[in-house]
Amino acid sequence: MADVNITVDGKKVTAPAGTLLIEACKSVGIEVPSFCYYPNLSLQGACRMCLVKVEKMPKLQTACTTVISEGMIAITNNDEVRQARKSMVELLLGNHPLDCPVCDAGGECELQDMTFSYGAAESKFMEAKNHKDEQQWSPVVYFDRPRCILCYRCVRVCGEAMDVWALGVQNRGVVSVIAPNKEDHLECEECGMCIDICPVGALTSGAYRYKTRPWEMNHVGTICTHCGDGCKTTLGVRRSDSGMQIVRGDNRDKSGINGDFLCIKGRYAFDFADDPQRVTTPLIRRDGQLAPSTWEEAFELIGKRFAEIRDKEGGRAIGVVGSNRTTNEENYLLSKFARVVLKTNSIDHRRTADFPAFAAAMVGKPHAAATMRDVFNAPAILVIGNNPTEQHPLLAWQIRNNVRLHRARLYVINSRPIKLRRQATSFTEIPQGTEGQAAAFLGGDDSAAEALGSGSREMWVGLRDKLRGEGKLIIIFDSAIRGKDISALVKFGSAVSGAKFVCLGDYSNSRGAADMGLYPDFLPGYRPIADASTFKDEWGDMPTAPGLNVSQMAEAAAAGTLKGFYVVGSNPVGGLGLDPFAFSNTFVVVQDMFLTETAQMADVVLPSANAYEKAGTFTNTCGDIQLVKKAGEVSDVKSDFEMIVRIADATGFEVRKLVPFGGRGTSADMGQSRGAQSGEADRHVVWLEAHGLEPKMSPFDPMAILDEIQRLVPGYDVSRMNLLAGNDQHTTTVGTGQGGVQDAKLIAPANDNLFTSGTLGRYSRALNSVIENRNPEPAEEVAAD
Amino acid sequence: MPILKDIAAIAKGMSITFREMFAPTVVENYPDGPGPLKGAKVEPRYRGVHVLQRDENGLEKCVACFLCAAACPSNCIFIEAAENTNELRVSGAERYAKVYNIDYNRCIFCGYCVEACPTDAITHGHGFQNASFNASNLIYRKEQLLAAVPAHLGANAIFNRADVEGGAAAVPVPGS
Ligand code: SF4
Ligand code: SF4
Ligand code: SF4
Ligand code: SF4
Ligand code: SF4
Ligand code: FES
Repeated sequence: MADVNITVDGKKVTAPAGTLLIEACKSVGIEVPSFCYYPNLSLQGACRMCLVKVEKMPKLQTACTTVISEGMIAITNNDEVRQARKSMVELLLGNHPLDCPVCDAGGECELQDMTFSYGAAESKFMEAKNHKDEQQWSPVVYFDRPRCILCYRCVRVCGEAMDVWALGVQNRGVVSVIAPNKEDHLECEECGMCIDICPVGALTSGAYRYKTRPWEMNHVGTICTHCGDGCKTTLGVRRSDSGMQIVRGDNRDKSGINGDFLCIKGRYAFDFADDPQRVTTPLIRRDGQLAPSTWEEAFELIGKRFAEIRDKEGGRAIGVVGSNRTTNEENYLLSKFARVVLKTNSIDHRRTADFPAFAAAMVGKPHAAATMRDVFNAPAILVIGNNPTEQHPLLAWQIRNNVRLHRARLYVINSRPIKLRRQATSFTEIPQGTEGQAAAFLGGDDSAAEALGSGSREMWVGLRDKLRGEGKLIIIFDSAIRGKDISALVKFGSAVSGAKFVCLGDYSNSRGAADMGLYPDFLPGYRPIADASTFKDEWGDMPTAPGLNVSQMAEAAAAGTLKGFYVVGSNPVGGLGLDPFAFSNTFVVVQDMFLTETAQMADVVLPSANAYEKAGTFTNTCGDIQLVKKAGEVSDVKSDFEMIVRIADATGFEVRKLVPFGGRGTSADMGQSRGAQSGEADRHVVWLEAHGLEPKMSPFDPMAILDEIQRLVPGYDVSRMNLLAGNDQHTTTVGTGQGGVQDAKLIAPANDNLFTSGTLGRYSRALNSVIENRNPEPAEEVAAD
Repeated sequence: MPILKDIAAIAKGMSITFREMFAPTVVENYPDGPGPLKGAKVEPRYRGVHVLQRDENGLEKCVACFLCAAACPSNCIFIEAAENTNELRVSGAERYAKVYNIDYNRCIFCGYCVEACPTDAITHGHGFQNASFNASNLIYRKEQLLAAVPAHLGANAIFNRADVEGGAAAVPVPGS
């Protein structure tokens, strides 16, 4: 759009036509106070805090609703404007309680700030204040009416941005009140967006309310550990008796891929960490019972048994199961540990999407994977299967707001009338389980249309032609589309110019687990075992035949050929329905936070730290890699990373070959006697120095493995500076391995909804209290107005 | 004569010494004096060990706003907040301090906390005999800092006397 020149307080400002005066001022660092204005929400003009003088206009104007025009001269700071602001604050405080000392917003309250900066020192009001008791609207949302300043941000964010429309306004003028959708309570998605956006302490969070104050916490920006979307969440932590306790989750740092957004899980479901049922000492089975023991004893036992089994029966007698919620570094390390230390390729994880087939389809299309940010900007989006509102809340938010703000065209093909159809340009219902056929049809297999039910063939052909005509289409699909259907879909996409893809995996690091090679037949980067040359050079000797997948491991255990079973942060018995009795003669080691069904049958249980209690990186389902930082701490648990290294050490393996830690000057033989290019550690140092980084000094430093990942896993060579600064970086598919099509039956989607999150959800009080409070019938959808 | 000058100077000095030797002592006879303070006299505005005050109903004045902790330059106040309920009403506002510790290893008795307190809950008392051989004894807990329930409320003081006449269950003032 053409640029417009205006003058604000004597400063020349140039901004595109259509810019609001308040934004134009902001762009040159002039603050115009505001309450009701919020970027990307509809304009309200309710609070009149933003009044400014515009020349040639008779009265003061609200900067949040005034569009700039050529030659406009605005004054934001003269006596008249200052007096107007003062009066606005005084009116707002007319019935505002003197609650700051107990109010949750105290210390980060916009009304406090405004009163301090622009308000008067005293009030002319003498009348008694009108008190109303606080109301509990849901297990996680509380409302303190006298504190509300009627900015309607909550109403707008809930309706416009969340498309839930659970909050409304009752009455008019000075007697207006914010009201929930069910008379005295809320039935909604419980995202807490209204709480976050409330400029004052009127809406407060059930989890955090009255617990502490903002300046009493440390704020750690890390990545949500629940679904695969990778929202950045800021955790407020305080010291507690056993370490650091997480007391609040929010997104005060809006720099993440999620911008303003967090769903209920990212905001409230951190409380599994202090569930009393958490395991906090290593347990060893003695006389049939799991009994507390010491770390030394546990590691010694595990190391001895694993080494024994490996040396006597060979590596094939040991199976390893990794996790969807451990960091990339841990997954990579586990992959390496299994192959190099245990000498087995039998390593697997709960697969929630067909990433190897996706990788295979993406060969030769290095930049065709969409980022989470792309989903907010793309002009057209196709969603086949899945219910993003429930399973990928951030993705749904991106799509919804893209449609609302950028008028993107959304095409939905689904077997259920999912909520996103409300934003869709076209919604096509198909019979259950035919997503694969839909993909095949789009890919050019016209006969597949037979299975697609009601719609006529002309309708389908029309839809396909229309999609082909869309430039820059983003195609989003989940585990309902597997194997060759993925290649068909990618083939279809290739005909659309600039098309990109998102393959949806369900847990926070499902994509990372796949990328790091937790597969019996793939190494990190989807490199088939047969094509192991790079890794062989780096890692040393490893078995060459593909190993067993999870269900084959269970069969082998039942048949007595699997003697050792090592499970890191996963629950294959509970989650994948393996028979626990199959493992009665197998030495089972489980690293987990809780005594899951799998841990209950273990011979040794090691208490592990969760993703909020350690550092590393996560890759979200779009392939955006982000830094995970340590927030909480519970004494007596260890990170999975440390445990894997210690077990390797206990088997007698030289740890430096597993984690390339240490650098020049830390050891007598770091290259001097062997020449600069020989050892692993040497190359590590060379690479580090080339990138201007420090050598890592500890075998438990995940950054040492991150170096190796960046060096060896294709697509992961992102800017380390950006990563460490907390920015999301997109991994590319440049140079990934061949991938391949596997047994589609091995994919077991999580099927979590908005209020469940696998094992973690089971132990989250916040999620459980919301589920218990729910009407058994699903809340009906409210039409947008 | 310089020597006479010197003698005069010494005599002058010694005269002060001898005069003070027989003057009444102005130093407190602490710790051998009478009374609970063992002879120490404390000025009204002396800043000693803190006292957490109660209101006229016997409820704690502290509402756990953490402002004292924020103001404290030596970072020695640790608070954990909790919400008042109908069954357990500890302070007059929505929340109260479940834990309130002051670490006297670190406190410099500057009085900033008293200055910061919006409810006049924390004040400096006159306690000064807090030397200890064990540093961990110097972390005073809320129970050690809290003022006694006002005598006129007596034992078993209840907070909601007016409601009890209407049939409500009595809510005792904690600590009474
Ligand atoms: S909303 Fe803000 S101004 Fe109002 S009581 Fe709370 S902290 Fe104070
Ligand atoms: S929690 Fe979310 S869905 Fe519920 S009322 Fe608040 S904004 Fe709306
Ligand atoms: S509850 Fe908060 S966000 Fe909603 S209108 Fe009141 S002050 Fe604004
Ligand atoms: S959308 Fe996913 S990543 Fe984001 S807060 Fe919710 S569960 Fe966490
Ligand atoms: S007197 Fe000073 S140092 Fe001591 S607790 Fe109060 S603010 Fe802190
Ligand atoms: S910000 Fe302009 S009227 Fe509220």
